[in-house]
Amino acid sequence: MRLLPTESIFELSFPSVATVASSAKPSEIECEVMRLFEQFRNPLLRYALSFGIPVHDAEEITQEVFLSLFRHLQLGKSRKNLRGWIFCVAHNHALKQRYANQRLRDRTASDWMIAERQVDPSPSPEDQISSTQRQRRLLAVVDALPNDDQSCLRLRAEGLRYREIAAVLNMSLGAVSISLTRSLARLMRADGR
Amino acid sequence: MRSEGLHVSDQELLLAADGEFPSRRAAEVRSHLAACWDCRARMAEIEGAIVDFARSHRQTLDPMLPAVDGPRARLRAELAALTAESNANSWQRIFWSTSVVRAAAYVSFGLFAIVLAAKFLVQHSTQYGPNSAVIPFERGAGPDHGLTPGATRRVTTRDVCSMAHEDVVREVPTSLRQQVFREYGIANARADDYEIDYLIAPGLGGVEDIHNLWPEPYTSSMWNARVKDALEEHLHQLVCAGKVDLSTAQNDIATDWIAAYKKYFHTDRPLSLRSCLDSVTLLRSPRA
Repeated sequence: MRLLPTESIFELSFPSVATVASSAKPSEIECEVMRLFEQFRNPLLRYALSFGIPVHDAEEITQEVFLSLFRHLQLGKSRKNLRGWIFCVAHNHALKQRYANQRLRDRTASDWMIAERQVDPSPSPEDQISSTQRQRRLLAVVDALPNDDQSCLRLRAEGLRYREIAAVLNMSLGAVSISLTRSLARLMRADGR
Repeated sequence: MRSEGLHVSDQELLLAADGEFPSRRAAEVRSHLAACWDCRARMAEIEGAIVDFARSHRQTLDPMLPAVDGPRARLRAELAALTAESNANSWQRIFWSTSVVRAAAYVSFGLFAIVLAAKFLVQHSTQYGPNSAVIPFERGAGPDHGLTPGATRRVTTRDVCSMAHEDVVREVPTSLRQQVFREYGIANARADDYEIDYLIAPGLGGVEDIHNLWPEPYTSSMWNARVKDALEEHLHQLVCAGKVDLSTAQNDIATDWIAAYKKYFHTDRPLSLRSCLDSVTLLRSPRA
């Protein structure tokens, strides 16, 4: 487990706080945060849940992320790569929460266990069994990957570009592409491709 | 299996698909793909694998997502409260930015600091003689900064936040404990009277070094070892949540941990241990 220094990644090119803080009205910032909430709430929740933390904790994390985003924008900090920024904050909170839960000896549910509980209602029963088994197989492969590889893959599944993933996980672009290449090769092998 | 020498590697296919190549190399890859069925098939396989995983990821997690209405309303209310708070603070900033007021405040503060320093010097010059070889340890809450200035290792926030629990709450070896007692002039110390504590906790980058250890009384009035433990835990969480800079946390706790406690818990007196834990939880709870 590792937490990532959000500020160091995203604050390199920050302009002066005092000069920019006065340039945007709080009401505008509120609207902007709410817009981003509508856009990223579900992806963030999914990402937080993929750490195996309970739903209510994941929901708390998303709330905290958007409150942090509000403070970040209110201080006039960088708007560059805001999607990466909010995923990075969520990543840090989710790791922290998972660590806290482990310390309380709560059992965390892995994706594999989640997949066992969740059944896709749309396909026919035969297809459903086959699809669920395949899902379990894929998710079991992902669960067996190193933490960074899992995070790369999940962030990619949420639509983040390589550069954004690199910023969220504080990795180089090359490391992200190597990680994803490795993970996808394993997924393809597991799927008999 | 494809020969990587003749074809574009998987890694390059991924980067090309994400538009991460410079235009010249991107054009080369596009040109190769147009002519090479092997690589196109491989590209399709890779993209298929991503799509399949993304689908599985969503299908397993989407049914768990709660409705958005409640969280949306809650966030809107929280943002409104923060905006109101910010507006109130901006009036304070305007007040402080008035140069006359600021100058008067600095002068008053300076005088106050001089009076305090003089009082401290008078008290200490009468308490200990000039020839005292060892200053006896006062059974108070703060360390002797001459003996325990605090010591840290070179760490990043990521390092301290990824520490295992057993590293964060590391026990001090007996030999080192005895050394600390000797240094502070404490003879026959009972184990349950003092905690040999890190001034800067390992969870904040503090090291197991005589300069970072001091005998903290469990029994002292209200600022005791258990209260400091709560502060350490709280600061660790704040640092890992990105709310407090690691070096600030180290400096605050090393300079005056009681002041740091008051600052970070927003209180003048220690909360009970239970209350401390509650307040940490409340940091992430909705406002009333």
